Amino acid sequence: MNKIYTSLILVFALIVMWTVYLTNVKNDDSLTVRYYTIEELLTKEASITKVKVGGLIKPDSISINETDQLEVSFYVYQGSDSLKVSYYGIRPDLFKDDAEVVVAGAFDDNSIIATELQTKCASRYEGDLKNIEKI
Amino acid sequence: MISQIGSLALSISGGLILSNFFFLFYYSIRKDKIFLNVSQRGLIAVCFCVILATLCLLNELLISNFNLQYVSQYTSYETPLFFKVTALWAGQAGSLLFWTFIMSIYSLIYINVTLRKMPTLKYSSYIMLSFIFGFFLLLSNFIANPFQPVSSDIIVQNGNGLNPLLQNVTMAIHPPTLYLGFIGTTILFVMALSGLISKSLNFEWIQSIRRWSLIVWTFLSGGIILGGYWAYNELGWGGYWAWDPVENSSLMPWLILTAFIHSSMIQEKRGMLKSWNILLASSTFLLVILGTFITRSGIVSSVHSFTAENLGPLFLAFLSSLILFTGYWFVKRFDTLKSDSKIDSFTSREGGFLYNNLILLLMCFIVLWGTLFPILSEAWNGEKIYVGATYFNQLNVPIGLVLLFLMGIGPLLSWKTTSRSTLLSNFKIPMLISFFSGVIYSIFFGPLQLYPLVTCMGIAFTATSIINEFRKSYKKSKSDNKSIPSAIVSMLFNNRHKNGGYIVHIGVTLLFVGFIGRAFEVEKEFNLSPGEEIYFANYIFKLNSIESEARDNHYAFISDIDVIDQRNNLLTSLYPEKRIYFYWNPDPEKRQPHSELDIYSTMRKDIYSIFSAYDAEKNQGYFKIMINPLVNWVWIGGIVMVVGSLFAFWPSKRRNYGII
Repeated sequence: MNKIYTSLILVFALIVMWTVYLTNVKNDDSLTVRYYTIEELLTKEASITKVKVGGLIKPDSISINETDQLEVSFYVYQGSDSLKVSYYGIRPDLFKDDAEVVVAGAFDDNSIIATELQTKCASRYEGDLKNIEKI
Repeated sequence: MISQIGSLALSISGGLILSNFFFLFYYSIRKDKIFLNVSQRGLIAVCFCVILATLCLLNELLISNFNLQYVSQYTSYETPLFFKVTALWAGQAGSLLFWTFIMSIYSLIYINVTLRKMPTLKYSSYIMLSFIFGFFLLLSNFIANPFQPVSSDIIVQNGNGLNPLLQNVTMAIHPPTLYLGFIGTTILFVMALSGLISKSLNFEWIQSIRRWSLIVWTFLSGGIILGGYWAYNELGWGGYWAWDPVENSSLMPWLILTAFIHSSMIQEKRGMLKSWNILLASSTFLLVILGTFITRSGIVSSVHSFTAENLGPLFLAFLSSLILFTGYWFVKRFDTLKSDSKIDSFTSREGGFLYNNLILLLMCFIVLWGTLFPILSEAWNGEKIYVGATYFNQLNVPIGLVLLFLMGIGPLLSWKTTSRSTLLSNFKIPMLISFFSGVIYSIFFGPLQLYPLVTCMGIAFTATSIINEFRKSYKKSKSDNKSIPSAIVSMLFNNRHKNGGYIVHIGVTLLFVGFIGRAFEVEKEFNLSPGEEIYFANYIFKLNSIESEARDNHYAFISDIDVIDQRNNLLTSLYPEKRIYFYWNPDPEKRQPHSELDIYSTMRKDIYSIFSAYDAEKNQGYFKIMINPLVNWVWIGGIVMVVGSLFAFWPSKRRNYGII
C-alpha cells in the first residue's frame, strides 16, 4: 500500500484511539457527565461532583427567593420519584410547572446544586389545543 | 374541501410509488424501455402530487382552517400572514411533508436535466428514488399526516399560534435553507450509487455530481450559519453554537460533503480515489438520515425537543436498509473502482487534499462519537454518559487549526509533486507574515493564550497565501487586458471554480476571526432598579426606566439601559424586553414569557443584553450582559462562504455551466 495512505490511516487511528481514551478510560470530569435517573440518585448516600438529571418540574414546587429573584429551588420528578434542585442564575423562559428540564451540577445531601438549567427548547412547539369547546 | 384534495394527493402519490416498483420490476425482467418510461412518469406524477398536497396544506394554514389538527396547533387568527406560511415547517407532520416537497423539486430537476444527459443512470436512480419517496410518503400518509382532522368531539375556536421564538425572519428562512441542503444529499446518494451500480463513473458523472454537491453545500452552509444567527439573536444564551445533538447532526453531513468536494477534485483531475468518493457522497445522505433519526427519536437528550410521534424506529430501519444497500453494491462493484494513477508525493496538491479529507473526517468522527456517546456508553455498561462542549472544543479546536493552516498550504503545492525550491519560495512570504502577525498579536494581547495566538497566525498565513494566488492570476490577466477593472473581471471569471473556492476559503478564515472572540467573552448577571447603575467590563450600565405596554399579541416590559464608556460618553442605549405572550389567558400556565434581547453590535464586539425577570413589587429588573468580541465576523465569513460557492457554480453563458 502507498506510503501516504498508510500514514494517513495511522494518524486517523491514533486520534480515534485518543478520543476513545479521553472519553472512556480517562474518566475526566471536565469532559464527561453521567446521566442519572432520580431513582438511582435517591439511593446514593455519598455526594457526587457532577451529575446530569432530566425530568419534569413538580407543580407548585418552584420557590423563588423574595430578596434575590435569581435564586430558585424546585423539585424535579420522574414518575413517583422526585428530587430537590437549587439553582442560582437566569432561568429559561419556559421554566414553569411541568416543564421538561435537564439540570447538571453537584449532588449532595439528597439534592442537586445545579450549575446548568435547561428547559427543552421549543423548536417544536407542541401541546394540547388551548382554545377549544367540547361538544 | 381543499384539505381533502391534499389528503387524496398524498394517498395517490403513495399508490403511484407502489405501482412504480412493479414497473421497475417488469423492466428488470423484460428490459422493455416502456416500463422504464412509465416509471419515470410515475415518479414525476408523485412529485407533482406532493407539490399539490403541500400547496393544499399551505392554503389551509392561510385560511385558518382549524378543523385540521396541524393548522390549529401552529397558527391562530392572530398569527401574522408571513408566519402562517412558515408554520408549514413548524411541526413534525408539516415538516415531513415539506421535506418530501423539496425532494420532489430536486427530483424533478434530477430526472429532467441530469438523467436526460446520463440515461444509463435511470434504472437504478428510479429504484432508489422510489424507495426514498416511499419511505417519506409512508410517514406522511400513515404516521404523521398533516391533514388529520381534530378529534370529532371538539370545536377549535382559535388555534394555539406559533411559538414566539419562531416568529422571527431568520427562523423563517433557516429551516428551508437547511432542508434544501439536507435533502439535496438525497440526489448525491442516488447519483453516487446509480453511477456505481450502472458502472458509469465517467468524467461527465464526476462533473455533474460535483455541481450538485456545490449546490447542496451552499444551502447546507447557509442553513447552518442562519441557525447560529437565529440562536444568537433570539435564544438569549449569547452563543451561536452549543454542540447540541441537533446542531451536530447538521455539522456532520457538512464536514463529509466538504471532504467530498475536495477529494472529488482529485478524481476529476487525475482519476483517483473513486471508491473513496462514492463512500463520501453516499455518507452525506446517510448522516442526514442518522441526524434525523437522532433528533426525532429522543434517544439523545437535546434541548431541541421533538416529542410528538416517535419516528425513531422507522428512521432506524430506513437508515439500516440504506447502509446495507450501499455496502452491498460497494463490495460488489469494488473492482470497477480502481484508480487510474497513483499519488506520488507527500508534498503535492493531491496530498494536500488528502490531509484535508483526513482532518474533516476526524472532525466528523469526533462529533459523531460525542453525539452518540450517551447511547454507546449505555449499551457498553448501562451508564448513560454525556460529553459536553469541553470535549468537542478540546478535540476539534486543535484539529480545526491544522485545517486553517492547510487552507493556506494547499495553493502553495503543485499537482503531482512540488520541488523543494518551489516549496521554499512559495512558503517564504506567508510564513513571514504569519510570524509577524503572531508577534504583533503578542505585543497587544500577550502571548499567554495559545489558541487565539495560533489562530491569528493561521489566519495571516492562509489569507496571505490566497491573496498571493489572486495576485498571480491578476498578473497573468493584466498582460492580456489593458484596463485594471477588466483585468480583475477576467481574472475572476476565467477560472470560476478555482476562484470561487478561494473566496470560500477567505470566508472560512473570517469565520476563524470570529472564533478568536470566543476566548475573550465575559458576562455578568445583576439586578437594577430604575436610576441605578453598575460597572462592568469598562462600561457603566445605567437603567433609566422600565415601561410596560400592551401590544398586538403580547404584553411587554421594556427596559431602557444606557451604556456609558470610559470617557463618560453615551455609547448606546439598549432596550431588552420581557414579553408575555398569551397574557390574556386566565390560566397563568398557558401564558408564555419570552425575553427579547437587544444587542449593540460592532465589528470589534457585541454588547448583548437580556432582560430576564421583572419584580413588579420592587420595580426591579434582572439583567444579564455579555461582551462578545468579534461575533460579526462569523456572519461575514458565512456570507462570504456562500457568495464564493454561488460564484463557483452560478451558470454562465460563455461556457455551458448549466449541466447538473
